[in-house]
Amino acid sequence: MEKFGLFLGCNIPFKAPDIEQSFRQVFPVLGVEPVDIEGATCCPAWGTAPSFDLTSWCAISGRNIALAEEKGMDLMTGCNSCFGVLSEAKHFLEDKERRAGANKLLEKVGREYKGTSDIYHVTHVLHRTIGTDRIRESVKFNLEGMRFATQAGCHQLWPSDVYKVSEENPFFPTMLNELVEATGASAPHYSRAEACCGMGGMRSTDVEKSLKIFKDKLLSIKEETDPDAVVTTCSSCFLQFDQAQKMLRDKGEIDFEIPVLYYTQLLALAMGFDPSQVAAVSTTDRAAVIAEIQNPARQAN
Amino acid sequence: MSLKLKKENIDEAVRTIMELGGKGILNCVQCGACSAVCPGVKAGFPVLCRLLIKKLTTGQLEEIIEEPSSWGCQACNRCTEVCPQGVRPQEVVFAFRRYQANEMAISTSTTTSQMNFYETGHAVYTESSKELRKQVGLPEAPPTTVSDAQGLKEIQTLLENSPMGELGFF
Repeated sequence: MEKFGLFLGCNIPFKAPDIEQSFRQVFPVLGVEPVDIEGATCCPAWGTAPSFDLTSWCAISGRNIALAEEKGMDLMTGCNSCFGVLSEAKHFLEDKERRAGANKLLEKVGREYKGTSDIYHVTHVLHRTIGTDRIRESVKFNLEGMRFATQAGCHQLWPSDVYKVSEENPFFPTMLNELVEATGASAPHYSRAEACCGMGGMRSTDVEKSLKIFKDKLLSIKEETDPDAVVTTCSSCFLQFDQAQKMLRDKGEIDFEIPVLYYTQLLALAMGFDPSQVAAVSTTDRAAVIAEIQNPARQAN
Repeated sequence: MSLKLKKENIDEAVRTIMELGGKGILNCVQCGACSAVCPGVKAGFPVLCRLLIKKLTTGQLEEIIEEPSSWGCQACNRCTEVCPQGVRPQEVVFAFRRYQANEMAISTSTTTSQMNFYETGHAVYTESSKELRKQVGLPEAPPTTVSDAQGLKEIQTLLENSPMGELGFF
C-alpha cells in the first residue's frame, strides 16, 4: 500500500474533523495509507510567519516538510492553504542562501530541510495515484442523476510552476469534476468556476468585501447549475461556503441554501461510511443530500 | 500636478521590497494583467498588484504604510500565473506586507493567529474542537503539536529566534 504523510493543517482537525475522519476511512480502502506526521504544526498560514519574515516562514514550513523527509515519505494535505504555503516555501528554499538561512534556524531544534519530499494535494492522490476507475469501482451507491457544483479553490491551481501536479489549464480546472463524475453524478461547468470564494485574508480584513465576492459566486452556481450540493477540495472554501451562506441569509441577501461537502466526504458517503463520522459537522444543513446519496435505491447489487 | 520622483526614495523602496522577497519588482511594465485577475481588486481593495507596484517603483513606500489592501490579498497567485514579465506580483505584495508588519502597520485580525500559533503550534485552534473530534470518533487531539510537547517546544524555539519574536505577540 502506498504511504503518504498526512499533513492535517488547522482547519480540518479543529473545525471540520469529519473531513479528517473521511480521509482516514476512505484512503486505506483505495490502497493509500495516510501516515500521521507527529509534531507537525500550522503550515504556517499566510497571515502568520509569511506576513512577517520570509526565512522564518521557510524554516517553519521546512520543519514540517523535514518531518515527512525523516519518514521517507511525500506529504499529502487536504487544505489548499497548506498546499500553497508548503509548495511556495519549497520554491523559496530552492534559493541556496535562503535554504542556508532556514537551516541555520532549524539547527536550533535539531532539524534539517533537505528537499527530498514532495507536496501533494488530496485531489492529486485521488486523481493520479488512485485514479477515477478505482474510485468508480469502490462506490456502493451510484449517484447518477445527482448534480454537484465543484470548487477546487485557489491554492491548488496557481502558481502552477511551484506545484508538483497542476491542471492542464488552471483557469479551467477539471480534476475535481472528474472525481465527482466517478461517483456517477454530474459536475456541470458554471461561469465563475475558478472565481475566488472570498475566504482567507480578504475575509479576516473586510467581511463585507468577502461576502460580495462570495455572493457573486454563489448566485452563479445557483442560477447556472442549481446543484444538490457544492463539492470542494479546499477546507477554507468549505468553511466559507458552509458559514457565509448563513450570513447572507441573515442579512436577507439570499433566500436559499446549498449544502456543502468536502470531496472525500461525498466519496465516503457514496462508499457507505457512517455519516455521523464522515459528514457530521456543518452550519448549512446536509441531512437531505446525505439521505439522497445513501438512498437504498441507489445501492448496487 | 506631476509627481516628482526622488531617486533615493525610489532606490530605497525597491531595495526594501527586493530584500523582503519581492525580487521581480523591477521587471514590471505596468501592463495590468495581474490586477485584471485579482479577486482583491475585484472586491474593492485598490492598492494591490499593478497599482501597488507602481507606488513602490515611484518611491512611495512610506506614504502607503497604513494601506490595508495588502492584508486583503488572498495569496491566490492568479497574478503570478498570468504575469508575462515574471514579476511574481504576489511575492511583491507579501514583501510589502512584511515591511508593514515590521513597522507594526498590521491588520488587527492577525494578532490572535500569532498567539494561537505560539501557544499551540496552530494559527487556528479552539478548545471546543476536542468535543467535535470525539463526536466523529477521533482522539480529542490530533497527532500534531497540540499533543506533542517536544514538537511544540521546537516551534516556540523557532518563533522566539525569528524576527517575529521581537514584535511582542508572544
